[in-house]
Parts: sequence; structure tokens; C-alpha cells
Amino acid sequence: MPEFSKMRKPDVKIVILGDMNVGKTSLLHRYTERKFKDTVSTVGGAFFLKQWGPYNISIWDTAGREQFHGLGSMYCRGAAAVILTYDLTNWHSLAELEERFLSLTDTANHDCIYAIVGNKADLTGNQAQQVAGQDGPTEDQGEGGGVNPPSACPTPPASPVLLSRVTLNKQVSREDAVSLYGRILRYKGMDESNCLPADKMCFETSAKTGYNVDALFETLFDMVLPSILRNRTEREQSPTVDLEDHKETGKRTRARCC
Amino acid sequence: MGTERKGTEAVIHRRLRNQICSSNGWVDACCAAEMSVKAFELVPAVARELLMGDKARINIECIECCGKHLYIGTNDCFIHHFLLEETTTKGTLSYSVQKQLVRYLGLKKPVDALKAASALERLIVLCDSTLSMVDMVTLEPVPSGGSKVRGVAAFCINENPVNGDPFCVEMGVISARRRTVQVYMLYEDRVQLVKEVTTPEQPCAVSLDGYFLCLALSSQYMILNYSTGAAQDLFPYDSEERKPIVKRIGREEFLLAAPGGLGMFANAEGVSQRAPVNWSESVIGAAVCFPYVVALDEGFITVHSMLDQQLKQTLSFRDGHILQDFEGKVVLASTKAVYVLVPLPLERQIQDLLAGHRVEEALTLTEGAQRNIPKDKFQILHKRILQQAGFIQFGQLQFLEAKEHFRTGQLDVRELISLYPLLLPASSSFSRCHPPLHQFADLNHLAQGDQEKVQKCKRFLITYLGEVRSTEGANGCREDVDTALLKLYAEQDHDSLLDLLASPNACLLADCAPWLEKHHKYFALGLLYHYNGQDAAAIQIWVRVVNGELQDSTRSDLYEYIVDFLSFCSNLDLVWKYADWALQKDQTIGVKIFTLRTLAKNQTKDQTGQINPDDVITYLGKHNQALLLYLEHLVLERRIKKEKLHTHLAVLYTDRVLSLLAQSSSMDAQVSAARDKLQLLLRESNLYRVQLLLGKIQDCNQLLLERATLHGKLEEHDKALHILVHQLKDFPAAEAYCVWGSASRDAGYQQHLYHLLLGVYLDRDIPGSSSTGPGGSNGTGELEMAAVDLLNGHGEVFDAVQVLGLIPEGWSLQLLRPFLGRALRGSMHAHRTSQLALGLARSENIQLHHDRLKQRRSPVLVSDQKGCHLCHNTFSEPDCVCLPGGVPVHTHCAAKRVVPDSPIKRQLANTSNHT
Repeated sequence: MPEFSKMRKPDVKIVILGDMNVGKTSLLHRYTERKFKDTVSTVGGAFFLKQWGPYNISIWDTAGREQFHGLGSMYCRGAAAVILTYDLTNWHSLAELEERFLSLTDTANHDCIYAIVGNKADLTGNQAQQVAGQDGPTEDQGEGGGVNPPSACPTPPASPVLLSRVTLNKQVSREDAVSLYGRILRYKGMDESNCLPADKMCFETSAKTGYNVDALFETLFDMVLPSILRNRTEREQSPTVDLEDHKETGKRTRARCC
Repeated sequence: MGTERKGTEAVIHRRLRNQICSSNGWVDACCAAEMSVKAFELVPAVARELLMGDKARINIECIECCGKHLYIGTNDCFIHHFLLEETTTKGTLSYSVQKQLVRYLGLKKPVDALKAASALERLIVLCDSTLSMVDMVTLEPVPSGGSKVRGVAAFCINENPVNGDPFCVEMGVISARRRTVQVYMLYEDRVQLVKEVTTPEQPCAVSLDGYFLCLALSSQYMILNYSTGAAQDLFPYDSEERKPIVKRIGREEFLLAAPGGLGMFANAEGVSQRAPVNWSESVIGAAVCFPYVVALDEGFITVHSMLDQQLKQTLSFRDGHILQDFEGKVVLASTKAVYVLVPLPLERQIQDLLAGHRVEEALTLTEGAQRNIPKDKFQILHKRILQQAGFIQFGQLQFLEAKEHFRTGQLDVRELISLYPLLLPASSSFSRCHPPLHQFADLNHLAQGDQEKVQKCKRFLITYLGEVRSTEGANGCREDVDTALLKLYAEQDHDSLLDLLASPNACLLADCAPWLEKHHKYFALGLLYHYNGQDAAAIQIWVRVVNGELQDSTRSDLYEYIVDFLSFCSNLDLVWKYADWALQKDQTIGVKIFTLRTLAKNQTKDQTGQINPDDVITYLGKHNQALLLYLEHLVLERRIKKEKLHTHLAVLYTDRVLSLLAQSSSMDAQVSAARDKLQLLLRESNLYRVQLLLGKIQDCNQLLLERATLHGKLEEHDKALHILVHQLKDFPAAEAYCVWGSASRDAGYQQHLYHLLLGVYLDRDIPGSSSTGPGGSNGTGELEMAAVDLLNGHGEVFDAVQVLGLIPEGWSLQLLRPFLGRALRGSMHAHRTSQLALGLARSENIQLHHDRLKQRRSPVLVSDQKGCHLCHNTFSEPDCVCLPGGVPVHTHCAAKRVVPDSPIKRQLANTSNHT
């Protein structure tokens, strides 16, 4: 149950960063709830605990609004992976990643993994466009997704905005993302040859159709496993007695008896 | 001057409280249905009258609450002391306050902060940027054993002190003028500065936990470990613009006011472990009252859940000034009066949520409260909430979710069954739990006459009960569960009805029988009777269905089913009772009652349920066909070796053949089929009375083959062969006779028969044989040819020497060439084979002689330390047996193991003893 999962101690943290309206919340929502729905602009941040095998992975969804920018580095503190999200139809959103969000990741783990994700692939007319096509992006809508209404809705409400079929051109090419990845590694002072290759870390997704979303998260989960294992051993070796942990195990054994 | 008021007492009555409410203008504003959880109630504690009366300029500056003691500092430099008592009348909580002392601190400055150090019985007072101490009871100044701490902007008490001394209070102090934070240890008689740390900017709010100082600086928050000096920036915040909040909410965890009206959580490492809550921009004070974050702004108290970050309740509160929690008690103050924010009992909050069908929130709240409730109590509560949640979802036809909640909530499944009218057996002792888990009277009430809904619910219950009955959840109420399930199956025409009845079940007969009748499930009813040991009733019902008296199309082969059932039925009276009915309907099927029945393995024991075959044969006298089938069953299938049965069957077969032959209209096929059966029996069985049958068919010339067989049984082979050769002229049959007649006999007997046959072929003096007739030469030639074929075909069985004496002189060598050739070769082969055997035997003999000599040459060591290779025990006597290779073993071991006449066994008794 998700209620319980909130009580559990996460083993590792993944943070989703990116400009407002690129679809961070929608990505997470698509992955966790398997559907695309209207989201409102995220306030502050939210997180979701994912049970991945025996591990708990917390995925933090941050607010893209400038107003909450200051909180970003706190969310990133100790992160094992950062998902830098941009909007494929909005060149500016990619630029923002470098200008505004990259510095937030200074607080992340030194071996943090960076993924660059171009969302809204359904609007660019590539293979992700299976479901989409009825509606164009409307920038005034809530942060995250920026598209409306939920694709699961059988009869979309008849509104002129929705009926006018706008297809936007892809503004950001894959090469742009790949070169950004290279610059990030240089910024971090990491040797490119020792890092995960750009073609594995640059994704194009669609939260609306679900295209590539599972692949994105699950690839990252597999990549952060070493971090989890290290965290676990560190916790075990730590001289501090974790009272909470003890309580938990005690409870568990007792529960088994009755 | 305030001391005169000592002892003044004021009890706030409910009437008065209402007045305050209206005068102060606060009302519960939590009316929006979407978010209404009534988590807290605002209860007045100290009314304006008790503090400043109608003096408009006097305001509350700070409060402190410690146990029952409530201290209020005012802007005119007074400290008021009250005793706060909780009273509950008719479930409504209210506070009565008892005014204690009032002390004027002698300045014209406001009292900025008050903190109780209860272990020291001191009240720490911040007034005029100076920290001083007064006695908690008398409010008299206490000398702090040194200079007062001056230039203080703000201070805090460490609730997670690092010093083990219980009579030492740790204090974090922000300097008003310098960019420093000081940590003091406060003892009964002195104040000691422990540490002073400089901060990059002017601090304006502080909170302390262990070694961690959580600070609001002018442009950001930070965490500072005063022991190590390690600093951790949290996030930027403009303290000029908005009042910062730094609130310790638990071990190494703080709640901070963040830009954009957020309440951010941060732990000592500078990591946020909970998602932020979204309160308003102008929050003045905040506190955590698990699982809620309570915040006060200019006009409202907002309540957010830490579990889902949602706003749960809003209370209007004008002129709000202070919100602080003291040991879990949230106290608020406007500028003129003090209130307590009382959490409503968790159960009531949860019930409110459930009443609003907000299942997920109710469960979140319940589970979130797990650590605040004793375990056993929590389990009971949790179960009940899960059950209630399940019923709410059930009412909304969200069956998957409902099922999950019923399952985890360990619902007594009868609660659910009882919703469906008439499903629970009349005898069930069940009564619904109180207070009820749901508001439905029954399914009809729930569905409001919507039959489709009813059907959906029924289908759900079928799957649910089907799953439950195999689990422990059905313990103690299996009868109720199975009965309900049976009723549903019957009503819904469900295929699993029969599976349920055919497998172990606890269906109540008295309750189910009328129900099954009502739904015309007579076959199922029969199964139920059978399961309950009432086979007579079961068969009676079924027979009525077969006879067309009752209508139930469950099984089109019900008649066969009954026959099958009777064949297994252990109640013999019942078998005899319905056998007649079954046989009258169809003898060939009806007889299966007896043929499918397993026979007693031991005839001497008269087991119940076993039928004596003789009784059956007598009984079946009037049903010829059935009798024949039954005898066939006994003789041919069961291979019962009883002369009577075999004779009886053979006679029946014979009679049938004879009667068919007598009828001119009989078909050849019928006759030959009947004869085949007879012939087979005559050939295969050795038990029937041969003479009797021979007498029966003696006069029938069409049954020569049968006669020959009977003669064969009497070992009258010449007669038999005579019939076959001379009367039937069926030479293959004659040869087959030889094979058959000598089966299971030795080779000599077979040779004898073949020689007999050869003799019959070659006998020329048979009177009456067709060979003597006019076409005799032909006939003789025919026989001779048969003889030649016989010799050539089966040469190996004949004794060649004898045959040579028998065959006529005139036969050419060419004619018998294959026979002679084979005979010669055979004889040669036998000779050489024996030569070879002889040679081999000789060589083995020599080999053994060699071995024996070799063994005798070397000693065999036997000692009491040495073990026998077969039993691994030691030797106690010198006697031993030596296996090939010189391995000594006990004589008895060798005798046990080695085959007595094995050539490898050689006794070496009395061999020299070398112990």
C-alpha cells in the first residue's frame, strides 16, 4: 500500500528537474498510475516511493516554477540520479536546464547519474503519436504535461481549442540533448569515457501516450542499484543504532507470531 | 500591583464561551465538502476579561504552557500565571482556568518570550533583549548566579539535549547585534556559555536539536552543527519580506517556512524527507500535531495532512498572533485571548471521512496513526476501518477494492452474506456487528431496485465466497458460507453448483433442500442428499426425474448416472429396490449395477455392500440378456474359476447358437458371432462340464468344430482330429488344434499331437471317411498333400526318425526335401552345440583347478583386528571362507551371500592361523 510505503525509509533518491510545463508530474504520474491526467502546477514538490524489488526508491517531483527554484538544491541533496526534463517542442526548456537547473545538482551525490529527457514526444509526430493528435499544447495550462484532456477520456469535451489540431514541430533534436549531456559531464568534471554513454542517457518520452516512460524509469532504477547497495552497507556499518529500524524489525517478528 | 488578584477564579462556562465566539468573530470555516475533515476544534481557554479587561492597548506578546501551567506575557511587561484544567461535559471538552499570580517585571517593555524550565522550576523570560529567570510558582526573580544574558534577539530550548544532566537546560541564543549564535547551559545556580558560533548573516530565528542549530538568516535557512562547525545551507528565504519559521518537529527534523507559502521539512543533514505542504504566504506560526501540520496566518488556521499533503481543515481565526505547541498541545493566542486547538479523536475523524465516502483518506489517516496507537488497539481499529471501507466500495460496486479491503480487514464473511436476503441459513447464529459496518439494510436497499446492480453484487459474492471458503477466513462459519454459496449457484444457474456438492462441503441440508427444489435443481438435490448420507432420497429424486415426473435437464444421461451410482451404492436394499427399475429400462445398461460393482476380495467375509454373485444370477433369471452379460462379466472379465458359472455360460451360449440355428431366419453373421463366442469359451475354459455340453450338441451336425474342441478337452485327440480332418476337412483348423491342444504343455506333448495328426492324415483305413468314396483317390491325395505340408511347414516338432517310418514308401525325396533338410540341419546343430558345451565345461574345470592351486600356495591372513568384508565384524574364530582374490569372510556371511552351487565358492576351512 502506498500509505505504508510512505513510512518506509527510502534506500535511494531520484529527482526530476526541469522548467515548468515540461511534464515532470505527468511523467511520474504516467509511470506510477499508468495513466495521463490533468495535473496542476506542482507546488513545492512531491514524492513517490517505488518498490523496486527489495528496495524502496523515492522519486521526487519538483516544482518548475521560478518561485520554488531555491528549494531545488535541497531536493537534490544526496540524490543518486537526476532526471533533467525538457519539452521537445520548446527549445527554451532545454536551455533552461543548463542555465538554471544544472547548478542545483551540485548537492547531489558525486556519482549521481544524469538522464536527459525530452518529453511530449507525441506532439512531434514521431512514433509516440499513437494516441495523441487531438490537441495542441497550451502554454497557459498547468505545469507538467501542458496537454489536455486525459487521453483516457472517451469523449473529449468539445472545445474549439481542443478541436483545432495543432501539430508542433520538434524544436529540440536528439543531437542537442546529447551535446548537453556532454557539457553536463564536463561541468561535473567527469571523464566522459568513464560515464554512461549519452545515447543511453538521453530519452525522448511521452507522458501522454506512455511512450518510453517505463523504459526511462526502469533503466534508471537498474543504474542506481549500486548506490542502493552502498547506502545499505553504509547504514549497516554505521555505529549509530537506528532505533526506528529496530522497532520495525521487532514489529515484523511479532506480527509473524500471531 | 497584580499580586492582589491572586486567587481570583474564573470558570468559563459554555455560555460564556459562546459569547467569546461571537464577540471574537471566529467560526468554523471547514464547510467545503471536498476537504472537510474535522480534525481539530478550537476551544477557548483564557478570555480577554481575565487578562486586560477592556484596556485596548494591552496585548498578549507570548505564551508558555507547561503541564497545567499557562504563562502569558503581555506588552505592558506583565506575566500572568494560570492553571488550565480540562473538563469534559457531554463529550464536549472545555477548559476552566484558575488565575494564579500576575507579576509586573518593572519595565515599560513587552515580554518577548517565556520558556519554562520545569526541572529547575524556572521560567526563562526574554524582556528588553535580556534573559532573566523567575520562579515558576512565585514568579519572583531568581538570581542566575552571574550576569544576565543581554543583547538577545531570540532564544530556544534544546528539546533533544546533548548533556545528560536532567537539571541542565540547553539554550540556543541569537545575539541582537552580532552575527553569532550562542549555546548556553542553564543550571540551577548558573548560566554557562558553552559555545559561540558566528554566522555568515544576521540570524533571526533559531531552533536547536542535539548539536544542530537550525537557523533562519536574513536571506536563507541553514543548519549548523555547533560541535563540529559544519554548516549546511538549506534554501534561500527573504526574512525581511516574510517572517521565517524554524520549528523543530521531531528528532533532527525541522519545519521551515519556504518561499511560495510552503512548509518545507528538512532534517539535520539538510535533506527533505517529506513532501512540503502548501500553506499561505503569511504564516505566523506552525506546529505539527501528527499527522497534521497546523499553521496560523492572518485570518485562518489551516490543517494539512503530512500523509498526503492535502489541506484538510480550515478554521477562521481573526487577529491570530501566536500558534505554538507544548508537549503535543497546540495553543493559540489572538492579541487578547488564548485558545487551545483540540484534536478530535482519531476514530471520529476517520468515521467522518468514511461518512463522506473518502475511503483512501480514511485509510491513510488510520495507517498514519499506527505509531500513535497501541498495537492491539490499532489492529482492531484498522480492521474495522478496512471493513467499513470495503463496504463503502462494495456499495459503489468497486468490487476489486472492496474485496481487497475485506480480505485485509479479515471481515467476517457473514457480514457480507447477511446483506443478501435468505442466503444465511435459518439456523445461523450470526448477527451483524454493532455498531454497524455499513448503512445498508440489505441488497435491495443498496441497489434501490436496480436488478442489474443486484446481479453484479451476486456475481461478486459468488467469486468472493468461492475464494473465502478455501481460506481460514471461513473457519467457524463454513456452514453459512457453503450454504450461501450453494444458494447463489442454484439461483444463478452456475456450473460450479455440482462441483461444490461433489467436493467436501458444509451445506446445510435442511436449508438447501427447499432452495434447490425451488430452483428445480433436482440432480443437485440428489447429490446433496447423497453427501448427507441419504442415498434413498437421492435416488428417489433422480428416478422421478428420469421418469419425467420432475423436470431438470442438468444431466441428459441421468439414467446411466443412476445405474453407475447403484453400482457403487453400499446400501444393498437400495440396490435391489431399484435394480428392477433399471433393468426394465434397459437390460444391457441396467446390468452394470452388478457388473461395475467390485467383488469381495475375500468371499468368506460377508462384507456389507458386497453382493453374492449367486444371488445376482438367481435374481437375473428373468432378465436373459442381463444374465448373459453378467455371466460373461464374471467368467470372461473377472475370470472367476467356478464350474457352475462356466457351465452356465457355456450352456447359455450353446442354447443361443442352437436356437439361432433352428430359426431359419437367422442371419449368418449372427450365427457365426454366437458360435465364435461359444468356441472361444469352450477353448479357453477348462472348468465347464464337458460331457453335459457334448450331450447337448451331439445331435447337431453343424457344430462339429465345437464337438472337436470338447473332445480335445477330454483328451480324446484322435476323435477330435478325426472330426476335423475327415468330417470337416479343415486342415488349418486341425493344425491350430494341435497348437491349441498342446499349449501350456511340454514339447513332447506337442510332438505327440502332431504325430497323431500325421497319423490321421496318413491313415487309409478309415471307414466312412470321404477318401473311400468314389472320388477316393482325390481325397487320399488331399490328405497326403496335407501331410506333406504339415511336415514341411512344422518339421521342427516332429521326430524325424519316427516320421521316416510312417511316410509311405512312394513319396519322393523331392517332396519332403524341406522337411528332411531342416531335420538334418537340426540334428547337426544339436550335435555341434553339445560339442561346444562340452569343450567349454572342460576349460572351466581346468581354470578352476588352476585357481585352487594358486590359492593354496599363499596364506590367508585372519586376525581379530581384521573385519569380514561382508558384515564388517571382526573374526572370533579361525574358520573362514576365502572369496576369489583371497578375501576372508565369515563362513555364515559367505553362506548367506553366495548362491549354494556357485563355482566361485570354495571353502578353505582350517587354513593356517596367523594371529
